[in-house]
Amino acid sequence: MNNAKTPNWSRRLLYFFLREEYREEIEGDLNETFEENLEQYSVKKARKIYNREVIKLIRPILTKKMSGTQKLNHYGMIQHNLRVAFRSYMRYKNTFLINLVGLASGLACTLLIYLWVQSELQVNQFHENGDRLYQVLANNSTSNGIRTDRATPGGLAEALAEELPEVELAVTETWTNTYTIAHGETNLKAVGQYVGKDYFKVFSYELLQGDKDEVLSEQRNILISDKLALRLFGTTSDVVGKIINFQQFRDYQVSGVFKSPPSSSTHQFDFIMTYEEFKELNSWVLNWKNNGPSTFVILSEGTDLEAFNLKIKDFIRSHNGEPNITPLATRYNDLYLHGKFENGISVGGRIANIRLFSVIAFFILGIACINFMNLSTARVSRRNKEIGVKKTVGANRSSLIFQFLSESLLMTTVSLVLALILVWLVLPEFNHITGKQLSLVFSGELILILIGTILFTGLMAGSYPALYLSAIRPIKVLKSQSASSKSQLWLRKSLVVVQFSISIILIVSVIVINNQIQFTQDKNIGFNKDNILYFEAEGQVELNMETFLQEVRNVPGVLKASSTAHSFVEGGYTGLTYNVKWDGKDPESSVGMEYMRVNYELIELLDFEITTGRSFSTDFKAEYNKVIFNETAIKLMGLNEPIGATINIGGRDTQIVGVVKDFHYKTFRQEVGPAYFVLKPDDTWLIMTKIAQGEEQETISRLNDLYAKFNPDFSLDYKFLDQDYEAQYQSEQRVATLSKYFSGIGIIISCLGLLGLASFSTEMRIKEIGIRKILGSSRFSIVRLITGEFTKIVLIAIVLALPISYLITSNWLDDFAYRIELSWWIFALAGVFAILTAWFTVSVQTIKASMINPAQCLRNE
Amino acid sequence: MKKTKLGEFEELVLMTVVVLQADAYGVEIKRELESRLNETLSVGSIQSALKRMEEKGFLKSEFGEASQKRGGKRKRIYQATPHAHKVLQEMKDVRSQLWASMPSMVRS
Repeated sequence: MNNAKTPNWSRRLLYFFLREEYREEIEGDLNETFEENLEQYSVKKARKIYNREVIKLIRPILTKKMSGTQKLNHYGMIQHNLRVAFRSYMRYKNTFLINLVGLASGLACTLLIYLWVQSELQVNQFHENGDRLYQVLANNSTSNGIRTDRATPGGLAEALAEELPEVELAVTETWTNTYTIAHGETNLKAVGQYVGKDYFKVFSYELLQGDKDEVLSEQRNILISDKLALRLFGTTSDVVGKIINFQQFRDYQVSGVFKSPPSSSTHQFDFIMTYEEFKELNSWVLNWKNNGPSTFVILSEGTDLEAFNLKIKDFIRSHNGEPNITPLATRYNDLYLHGKFENGISVGGRIANIRLFSVIAFFILGIACINFMNLSTARVSRRNKEIGVKKTVGANRSSLIFQFLSESLLMTTVSLVLALILVWLVLPEFNHITGKQLSLVFSGELILILIGTILFTGLMAGSYPALYLSAIRPIKVLKSQSASSKSQLWLRKSLVVVQFSISIILIVSVIVINNQIQFTQDKNIGFNKDNILYFEAEGQVELNMETFLQEVRNVPGVLKASSTAHSFVEGGYTGLTYNVKWDGKDPESSVGMEYMRVNYELIELLDFEITTGRSFSTDFKAEYNKVIFNETAIKLMGLNEPIGATINIGGRDTQIVGVVKDFHYKTFRQEVGPAYFVLKPDDTWLIMTKIAQGEEQETISRLNDLYAKFNPDFSLDYKFLDQDYEAQYQSEQRVATLSKYFSGIGIIISCLGLLGLASFSTEMRIKEIGIRKILGSSRFSIVRLITGEFTKIVLIAIVLALPISYLITSNWLDDFAYRIELSWWIFALAGVFAILTAWFTVSVQTIKASMINPAQCLRNE
Repeated sequence: MKKTKLGEFEELVLMTVVVLQADAYGVEIKRELESRLNETLSVGSIQSALKRMEEKGFLKSEFGEASQKRGGKRKRIYQATPHAHKVLQEMKDVRSQLWASMPSMVRS
């Protein structure tokens, strides 16, 4: 007997329409036919016949009856509910508009955040072997804690693959850099990197031409992206075998074309060369004491990560690498979101922003839902007659609950449509802020999410009114006017408290985030980053650096020019060494120092402040074995008389000539570590110039000409230091901008809610106000009466929100080594702002109420 | 032939029920008719004919045994009522009388 099952959906269809008394017999018949067909035909065909048989069974005599006690639908009821809902929208336009605007903007924010979170979660997730792909990081135990680095010894990958059976594949990857490549007359700048042989087996970048086993087998191979192929050759076909000149230095043969990495990849590059070639050009990488390239491995199925990490603990040490470095394999898929390490353990990273914005999305939606709940229950007195009559006529509770839920679902659906339009409108701007390429594509998943959001929001917003209103006792309602009880009023107020607390938390967060950003921009970083233009020395410029610098100094508009190997911003060119020894240093301890190889005049160019001693100068001879330390390094080495002391750097005795004030060569997230300058003009490759303000464009074009004179085959690719500096804080900048917008929307939505409540409450008290006015109350005291009620609510919200916002913001600031203090005025400002907005919101209503003519409102009784 | 109203297809099904006797249940009837008529029939057409004739009093039925092949569902065995036998006989008589009175060229 075959085990194939009859198709589920058609069986369910059968149950749906077939009369119950026939079910057993007919289903049995169908089963028997199905089994027989299985003997003759394929499962697929048998199922197809089954489906057809079921459809053919839909005949009047066999189907359930449409009339009588058992009905197939509730069309009548739904139609009625919709009509009632529509009428109440038309009648109370203000409430309807407040709800619509609130819910729509709340939903739009939530949708935007959903799109953003979704795209963040997808970063680097496209690699086929993702579940077994690990990046091997390097944990440096230094005297000030463990520092986790991506730079590993250059031979690590090969040694791992050779010596450990668990390692299926291992591959080295260098850093990306911009190079000049040329073919024939065309030369252009492109981003490239050197990678190990199995690169395309480890990572799932798509190869359009070439075989992934072969493309990197020859040392002088080069692979280019389809986009680069178009730029260079004008075509992507038949480029394999062509010759590309690299940096006017050497020719390489194209062995393959890959598809440009998708935007969801953190690695972006235009071309790839072999690691073998890199090794030939950079022999330092063969020394295990030097760290630089990144290492990736694919572990065989079922490898226990912890056991593997334990096994490779001494791997670098045993290969004569730095004794203090322990390799740490980490899942590559997780690194993007969990890329922050403290003491060798992952402590989060971008995931924090994802959490932050998810919470904000939830808050905003919550605020909008609260508006809906509050306004619906507030309107209860308007609808209690309707409910009373319905109940008297025999409506049961569940049908009333159904009515209110369908009303709120209708509301949410309309809002969602509006929200989608809003999202569509603001998406370009949102993309601009987040630096992403998000788009509203109606995939199956998104549609499911949308339906889910409608249900969730509709049920959340509608649940309280539905449960509350349906429980009203008809006798009470029809006899007397008032139905709002004390407990209901209390609940409404506490919901407003929650709303305002959230708003205040948002306000405080925005102030703190913006202050911190401002602080990083204004803080004295220890050098002057303004009007600094820098570019890489290539070709003839690199070979004739001194001549070139002399010519640059003569260019009008250039104030100073020098060269360096360190770019003084994170993510640029850096250098770290453990090879500094001094008298009294604990031989066991390992201290990493940032080193800056510079040319004459660089210290003056960037305005580093020399506290004692002097800078490098051409007036002295033998400057090559002199060094300038920063204050932290001097303190660390415990030197009282630093000038003239001799320190051993990399095995060479070096004399201290000066001490420079601490400066930030990394972001404010990290503390300034020990650092030093050495004069090594031959090792520098970045030309830095200080240019006069106001004539940047002219100066740049002159520099371009000069560069072209030296290097006809290269184009000048310059950068501004202050722009690079700001880029370091890009993610904070984005968080700041986004939180500003989202908080603004959150606050507006809560104010809308407050406005609705205020107008309702003045309406309810209109007679009271009339009587008060007749008895001689002034306008002002009436304004105060109504405002006082809301002031109390907002004050409670402030008391609740300030401690919470303190906790949240100080937690966020903990991420920064250099941060602003949380002073009282931030909280005071947020509180005052909340009260003022609340007053302003209700003032329209209260002033209107205070001007009322008592004769009018007391006429009908 | 008053009040009987037996359709052509219904008549065929009814006769099959009589032929099959104790084996007369949905699928078996379908199988028998398919082989005799040399065409494929749907479960729906057989079932609706059976239900209609049961309603009109030509058939009565009771549950039979279940089998694994039917997914544990019982068969319903149909049996023609005496009334049905009478009607069938009547129809046959009418037909043979008509045949007999037809001109010979049609008969051959």
